[in-house]
Amino acid sequence: MKEPRLTRRQVLALGGGLLAAQALGQGQPPKLIRIGVVVPTRTGSLEQPVSSSAHAIGGEIARMGAVMAGEEVGENAELLGTRVKVLLASAPSPEAAARAAQRLVATEGVFALVGGIGPGQAEAIAKVAQERRVLFFNIGNASDALRRACNRLTFHVEASAAMYLDALADWFVRANFRRWFLVHTRDAGGQALLARARKALEVRHWGANVAGTAAVAAGQPDFSKELEAIGRARADVVVLLLGGEDQMTFLGQYETSGLRAQVTGFPDPLTQTRDYFYALLRVAPRSAAGYRPLLWEPTLDNYGARELNARFQQRWGQPMDSPGWAAYQSVKMLYESAFFARSLEAGRLVPYLERPQTVFDVHKGIGVSFRPWDHQLRQPFYLVKIKAEPNPGFELSKRVGLASLVGEAPAIVKPGTDPVERLDQLGDGPRDFNCRFGGR
Amino acid sequence: MPKALPPLALLLALLPALFSLAQPQAKYRAYVSNEYGASITVIDVATDQVIGTIQVAGRPGEVRPRGMAVSPDGRTVYVALSDFQPRLETPDDKIVAIDVASNKVVAEYRIGTNPERVAVSPDGGQLWASNENAAKGTGFDLKTKQVLGSFPTGVEPEGVAVSPDGRFVYVTGETSHTVTVIDAKGLKLVKHFLVGNRPRHVVFSPDSSRAYVSAEIGGTVSVVDTKTHQVVQTVALGLDSRLVELALSPDGKRLFAAGGGTSTIYVIDTATNKLIKTVKERMGRRPWGVTVSPDGKKIYTADGLSDSVTVIDAASLSVVKKVAAGRGPHSVVIGVVQ
Repeated sequence: MKEPRLTRRQVLALGGGLLAAQALGQGQPPKLIRIGVVVPTRTGSLEQPVSSSAHAIGGEIARMGAVMAGEEVGENAELLGTRVKVLLASAPSPEAAARAAQRLVATEGVFALVGGIGPGQAEAIAKVAQERRVLFFNIGNASDALRRACNRLTFHVEASAAMYLDALADWFVRANFRRWFLVHTRDAGGQALLARARKALEVRHWGANVAGTAAVAAGQPDFSKELEAIGRARADVVVLLLGGEDQMTFLGQYETSGLRAQVTGFPDPLTQTRDYFYALLRVAPRSAAGYRPLLWEPTLDNYGARELNARFQQRWGQPMDSPGWAAYQSVKMLYESAFFARSLEAGRLVPYLERPQTVFDVHKGIGVSFRPWDHQLRQPFYLVKIKAEPNPGFELSKRVGLASLVGEAPAIVKPGTDPVERLDQLGDGPRDFNCRFGGR
Repeated sequence: MPKALPPLALLLALLPALFSLAQPQAKYRAYVSNEYGASITVIDVATDQVIGTIQVAGRPGEVRPRGMAVSPDGRTVYVALSDFQPRLETPDDKIVAIDVASNKVVAEYRIGTNPERVAVSPDGGQLWASNENAAKGTGFDLKTKQVLGSFPTGVEPEGVAVSPDGRFVYVTGETSHTVTVIDAKGLKLVKHFLVGNRPRHVVFSPDSSRAYVSAEIGGTVSVVDTKTHQVVQTVALGLDSRLVELALSPDGKRLFAAGGGTSTIYVIDTATNKLIKTVKERMGRRPWGVTVSPDGKKIYTADGLSDSVTVIDAASLSVVKKVAAGRGPHSVVIGVVQ
């Protein structure tokens, strides 16, 4: 007799959380689960850094998240007779990331890698993961092109650029910011962001339009021409599709330009940190104040987030910024995958992760899963407002207080609607991808 | 080999559970913990009118009452209090006892740091608390006023219950998706076992043979055989249900599950473990707490986002009243005035 096929909705209605029944096949969970984390981190001391790049700020917070996850997940795993070990490697460049990833797989026996913070690092680690047949969880690269590369062993905990841009559009259009000025870099990445931002406005969110665009070079020191163009365009909002350092340079000049349109920036691991907000407010206390989308928010209070944020702050004396959350949840999800799939083999883990009924709790109040068409974690975002603060304080409570939570996108509580469809409102859908993954 | 209990002894052992709190001449009062109001709203169950508010701390927004439990005779309500600084152990981390007759706080007990929920043993002699940020379940002897023991649980423990036969304490671990089993008499850790994703609450059947565990992210209720401490069935109520508290009817035939995500009460027939009804119409927003009156006639929910208590008629399974409570109702229990 032919078995009836279940729709995705039916599968989910049957419960994505049937953990006890989630084990694929027979066998025992692995006794030791080793996870490698490769991120750029500071070397030397905080007072006297030997090497430190802007990306190391996000990388350092990710390291903290991974270490804390190793401790907490390890505690949970031991209840059930399994041990978890997180192995860390610092990598300031893609080449160093590739070497570190190779070493972690070859000599430390990790079954999965976590990383991708800093230019080129996600691509480098994904390549190693593909060659060595281990999983890779990307926590720092939003590039849609990376998702279109269709690497079967790569899963994206970091949101895609398309998701971030849709969240921005959703928020700003509803808040009546209808004329957007987009500043982007001339390179392929900048062009891709520009195209996707246009799509967010013109295809997905009718009612707003592009008032103007400006292409700039990465690292450009002078934005006076672009500021003039923005003034002429009479934009409601200026969206900086730039890296964190360029956003800061731009805002420093915008502050004294006399322009009053709201400015927001494309989020990356660096620009989502309270340390970055602090630096922005030092440079541009008026124009840095405004709305930004975050993957995770250190003041989030619901869904166990208060406790998670509090534990992180106590452990590290730092807010749990987005990179810390992404690293923490990656370790947690990888442990749970290995435990419930009863395997450390990519061949068994990938189908497990692609199943619609594989659902994770990431402290966001709704079960999340990986989209089968691009391995992107579907999840809600948080919109925060950076407060206008001419003299921001750096102590922990003051840094946390530099921004406040103002919204969630998409809203996770909407009784009567499908929760997965709600989350899939943001980002590109299956028609935009040609990946031939098993979950499609 | 343990000696089997004769039927009379078994009956005597189960007496507290069989009689439960239903007493013909008794007056029932519902107690609602208001997490953000640092208060307990008291409702007369006969009229469903608010008859008082007990301020359990003078600092709303700083001290949070959450889980509650009632003594077997119904005369004392225990409330788990903590502050909003989960990592710091402060004097606010305690269990307070409220005398139902006078509605006064009559005692305070320190049972570990950051207690989120509390349970009472069927003989009324032990309190058990889930210590959320210590990842512990802690027992306390009410006679000696001493801690009996502290046992490791999964990270972020929450639900805690003592079986009506007094043998086992179950503590849920939210991030570990586990239930920790503690031998309440031998004061020993028995085992940890997996349930649904992010388990929030646990209740035992009146005969102690089954336990039911809600899972918020999984949207499931795990049915547990308490002889083997194993999940024997899983009731799936949907990813969006976001279940928190559970309550059984006094006869154990119906299980009520509070769906915070859908503002729904799910009604499960425990003979078949099938969903038989959802109560949605006129429900308050985000019900987390749920309890059944000792006579089985009414169901009360604590609605966190609408600052209300919803009263459901157990026979028709329809909402009959909404009562204003304090800020952020978390849980609701029913005490007895003798």
